[in-house]
Amino acid sequence: MSQSKPGRRVVVTGLGVVTPIGTTVDEFWSGLKAGRSGVSALEGFPLDDLKILIAAQIKGFDPKQRLKHFKRDRIITLADRYSWFAATAADEAVRMSGLQLPEADPYRSACIIGSGAGGLVTFETAYRDLFIHNKRATHPLTLLRIIGSSAAAHVGIEFGVKGPTFATCSACSTATHAIGIARDYIRDNVVDVAIAGASESVINYGTMKAWQALHVLSPEGCFPFAKKRNGTVLAEGAGILVLESLEHAQARGATILAELCGYGMASDSQDMVKPTVEGPSVAMRDALADAGLKPEQIDYLNAHGTATMDNDINETKAIKEVFGDYAYKLPISSTKSMHGHPLGAGGGIEAVACIKAMHEGWVPPTIGLDEPGEGCDLDYIPNVGREKKVTYVMSNSFAFGGLNAVLVFGPPPA
Amino acid sequence: MDEVATKVIDILKKHMKEPRDDISLDTQLTDLKIESLDLAMIVFDIEDGFGIEIPYNANEEVEAFKTVGSVVDRVKSLIAAKQASAAKA
Repeated sequence: MSQSKPGRRVVVTGLGVVTPIGTTVDEFWSGLKAGRSGVSALEGFPLDDLKILIAAQIKGFDPKQRLKHFKRDRIITLADRYSWFAATAADEAVRMSGLQLPEADPYRSACIIGSGAGGLVTFETAYRDLFIHNKRATHPLTLLRIIGSSAAAHVGIEFGVKGPTFATCSACSTATHAIGIARDYIRDNVVDVAIAGASESVINYGTMKAWQALHVLSPEGCFPFAKKRNGTVLAEGAGILVLESLEHAQARGATILAELCGYGMASDSQDMVKPTVEGPSVAMRDALADAGLKPEQIDYLNAHGTATMDNDINETKAIKEVFGDYAYKLPISSTKSMHGHPLGAGGGIEAVACIKAMHEGWVPPTIGLDEPGEGCDLDYIPNVGREKKVTYVMSNSFAFGGLNAVLVFGPPPA
Repeated sequence: MDEVATKVIDILKKHMKEPRDDISLDTQLTDLKIESLDLAMIVFDIEDGFGIEIPYNANEEVEAFKTVGSVVDRVKSLIAAKQASAAKA
């Protein structure tokens, strides 16, 4: 679908992340700069008969410490882990933006925070209590912890957001869709400000078993585009942006980090796990058209790059389809090689990596890429990041079910 | 105050944002700023703590939840009912 239509310009004024390689934007960026892997031995619950014994988990995260200053949302520390991550990332993004929330007109703000799966850890705990430990009841907060809109609701309560508040759900494209929709609401004058992104925390026994049964997890590590790649590695975390209309940001003298200048989405409508080249290509083309850019103007592409056999070859083909000969010159990386695959949160975390790359003039690498895989013949920035002037970036998210969403960010408007 | 009352008050305090030490049997639950979600958690903890089940619906005004004393009375009667049925069995 073509989305180009005139409207208000939308800028990014705040970034927030919680990832396995850093639970603030600064720490996360240091992790990317160091080419650090967040993958480690699976822990925190009985592993029993699991065969996949690695994941990119966030260790030592203390919600009481990170969220103790929350005032309006009284029960955040009793919420599910995925809501903690969302609240922490949103808090960082709002602080960075300098916005004083609630807005004077709270109905002109939105909070769109998705999750691929909601509170699955709570779900499993509750069912273990009922079915294994024969407990008479689940904890009273179980339902509120589980629902996939609870992160959006918690953050919306804390920051007094009274406009559109809900979650998106599109597996690995969840955050990208949330950011795209928020962009559209601001562009179309529905709201002036939005907190948008996604959060995910699903690493438990049942989820590991379910992923294991699909045979797409690597027992060794996340090595996108590499010959040795043998699956993805589950991760957890959150990535959230504060978006504003350009006028709103300028009127309050905010520091503008980037313009969200392009958004494209397309569905393969073909298969749950086998991607098409067409769907991702259309999404990338639409994002470029929406931004009014030629392919050659993109300086860095943050790939979906999951390290599964299918995605990496297919994404490479789609990039060639869209970028033509320039595809071979375009620096591309999958930061999932470092932070793992945080499912719905991926596009939010990767948007932050893209905007930081623009600011720092440095593009992050794909680590673990000693020898490229067959059909993977582009410049994936192997192992070591590099200095590069970055004016426009593209971030790809391609989800199970063939749900594709792409963002393009550019420099702050002059 | 007896053991049941002390235990109930401890549970109430655990769920109050600003716990206070002047809670008596006459204290109204509304004075403790206990809202419906807090009440659900309080009921859960009381049930766990005393091994009883309190019939309660958050959609209804419940006489047994007016004051601290009425909660304590309700808990005591449920404990007694449970003991009586255990004795019969």
